[in-house]
Amino acid sequence: MIEVKDLTKTLPGGRKLLDGISFKVKKGEFVGILGPSGAGKTLTMRCLNGLLRPDSGSVIVQDEHGRRHDICRIGKKELRQVRQRIGVIFQGYHLVKRLSVLENVMIGRLGQINTLRSLVYGFTDQEAEEAQKALDKVKIADKAQSRTGSLSGGEMQRVAIARAIFQSPTLLLADEPISNLDPSNAKTIMKLIRPLSENIPVVGVFHQPEMTAKYCTRVIAIKDGKLVYDGDPKLSNKKLEEIYGEELGQLDQYEYNEPAPVVEAEIRLL
Amino acid sequence: MTTIDITLPSKKFKRKTTIFSITAIVVTVACIYIGFNPFAIFSEFHFMRDLLAEMFPPNYETLTENSSTGYAILQTLSMAFLGTVYGGIIAIILAFLAASNTMPYKPVRMVVQGIVSLVRVMPTLVVVLIFVIAVGPGAFAGMLTLVFTIIGTFGRLFVDVIENAENSPGEAIYSVGASRLQVLRYSIFPQILPSLIASLLYSFDVSMRSAISLGIFGGGGIGFKFQLAKSVLHYKDMTAYISIIIVLVIATEKVSDYFRRRILGEGKLS
Amino acid sequence: MNPRKYSLKRYRKFILPLIALAAVAEGAAIVCGATFDKLFTGLVNGFSFLGHMFPPDWTAFSEMIVPALQSILLAFLGTIFGTILSVFFAMLAASNISHKWVRNTVRFLIGFERSVPEIVILLLFIAAYGLGPMAGIVALSLGCIGMIGKLLADTIEELDSVMMESIESVGANKWQIINFGVLPQIMPSLISFTLFRFEINIRLSVLLGAVGAGGIGYELEYSFNMLQYHRAMTAVIIIMVMVFGIERLTATIREKIAGEGALR
Repeated sequence: MIEVKDLTKTLPGGRKLLDGISFKVKKGEFVGILGPSGAGKTLTMRCLNGLLRPDSGSVIVQDEHGRRHDICRIGKKELRQVRQRIGVIFQGYHLVKRLSVLENVMIGRLGQINTLRSLVYGFTDQEAEEAQKALDKVKIADKAQSRTGSLSGGEMQRVAIARAIFQSPTLLLADEPISNLDPSNAKTIMKLIRPLSENIPVVGVFHQPEMTAKYCTRVIAIKDGKLVYDGDPKLSNKKLEEIYGEELGQLDQYEYNEPAPVVEAEIRLL
Repeated sequence: MTTIDITLPSKKFKRKTTIFSITAIVVTVACIYIGFNPFAIFSEFHFMRDLLAEMFPPNYETLTENSSTGYAILQTLSMAFLGTVYGGIIAIILAFLAASNTMPYKPVRMVVQGIVSLVRVMPTLVVVLIFVIAVGPGAFAGMLTLVFTIIGTFGRLFVDVIENAENSPGEAIYSVGASRLQVLRYSIFPQILPSLIASLLYSFDVSMRSAISLGIFGGGGIGFKFQLAKSVLHYKDMTAYISIIIVLVIATEKVSDYFRRRILGEGKLS
Repeated sequence: MNPRKYSLKRYRKFILPLIALAAVAEGAAIVCGATFDKLFTGLVNGFSFLGHMFPPDWTAFSEMIVPALQSILLAFLGTIFGTILSVFFAMLAASNISHKWVRNTVRFLIGFERSVPEIVILLLFIAAYGLGPMAGIVALSLGCIGMIGKLLADTIEELDSVMMESIESVGANKWQIINFGVLPQIMPSLISFTLFRFEINIRLSVLLGAVGAGGIGYELEYSFNMLQYHRAMTAVIIIMVMVFGIERLTATIREKIAGEGALR
């Protein structure tokens, strides 16, 4: 369970990047966050993960023992403990390219392993076996020993998911996980994430309303830092237009007579 | 089903420790053989402490008592300057004779490349000793040595720079009936000029450091004064000279950096 | 516009700098006592003297093998210890894994170290601890820090920051991030820098040897001082073979590593 209350972040000039964002996600839900660029989606995601502290508000996460932690307030040590069981996948995958795929998956449990042991000895054979099983779940078991840098984008994202699975997470966060992928790979990734939501809450930021409509259980829209929609993932064209401010429904029609916008400027030779 | 071989972490750990132990043993044996005991630095630290006590505070009066220090600084700067200028010019000429795109005759190329390699492998020590015998100790010998050093260090670099120049502009010029020399002047030279000048500025930096080292060998300049002060145990004078050396090297580096930035534009200095 | 004027005017801006350059060069030459006629005779003398040093004294060859090995060992140990030190300093000097104050101070120290020529460090240690290999190895090790430390620190700072955030997100602490995120990614660069520095250290070890660190540099200087120029020539040849051999060795190692991809 993750509960977000009143997240606010203000720029020095007065503009609000986040303006009272509040929502709650329970186990069994796969929530997609939509919104135009710069609206505050990624900021919100970074607050959920603890990579960013808002000016006010709280992000309450329930750990495996049922205890509650406010990510925006806890100290470093506690944050690390809470993060052990929060899986995060990123848009650019951001795995360690020079390590093998198996090692990247095992990195997932670094928060749960004793530091000294992880540094001197490394990982145990048992952990390697379990990591292999996680790779099996994302259907990429044959690449276990390959150097991560040699994988394609879709494969790397699957490794990232395997890493999250390996953590036995109580919460999964995804920051634009399919934005760098082609449609076929994007579908694969969404198909891998959706079943995970049966046991844990999953929150993801997306740029693809058609994907969230198909795979998410619920959709949240953020525009200009404010939460403007929270409900059914199937958004009507009118609703999409409200959120994105454009005639998205007309995407398949290109108007040939319409010239591209031109900026008139006077060029001065200095 | 394909079988994948996975190196278990425990095996990896064993491999890591074996490599580490072998290296450690080799290093220890080497230290014992050569009589190097790193811990002696600390156990006998009183020697260092005594020396430091005798070195400080630096005696800056040597600088003002006669003009010899100023003259020595001038000498070191001049050595470095002339070494760069003459060495640079000769190195550039040799590079043009050794580069495949400016010298079509292979035998000439091979001979010149051989000369440059020979000069490069000549140890600086030998060159300075020979010149000290040939022209007597002092800044002159140092300067001649620097010329050799620069040719050796930068000859190869200049050849690379010339060969990396693009062919296409040259071919275009050739096709309008220009001679080889004209191609050189209008196509290759303008392309490599910024790189050459930047390298020359860097070589001045290198020359400065070498000039100081060579001074210690009887090459004159501030290195010589430093060595002299040390040998007569005037440690406070010696420290004064060290500080001058440091200032000189840093100043040269900053100046060389500044001009290189001006020429190559902001960004990586390379 | 008059075409002739156009083509000449362009060069006007070069005239002043060239005159300045020539003037400075002349001044510098006077300071060094390097007048033009002396230049020519000096070079001629140098080459003829080199000729006099032939033929090398082959009987001295066997005496020089051990000092040559000593010089190589000096460079080897200096590089090993120097690299270890450099890694520590580089991590302290990288803005993405070190606090701002620490980072700036260490960067300053590294820059400071770069300005001190290794010979000076050597002489200081000789003054403190006496002649011998210790001063040489310490001088070479400390000398590594200036080069490898700086290059490595720059490399670390250029690492993908989000990759490190990604490891931070699973709850890893700083040491784990360094061990699993930073070290694997900098390994190829580190090996490259170390090999490069080893080549430099071999030449330095010869130079430092003459000033008191021992090895074949010392043999060379000794032969010169004793006016045994043929013996000196043997030393020169051995040194050249040594330097060339080490260069070939490092080149082969580089090729081998590049081929394997050097997984951790």
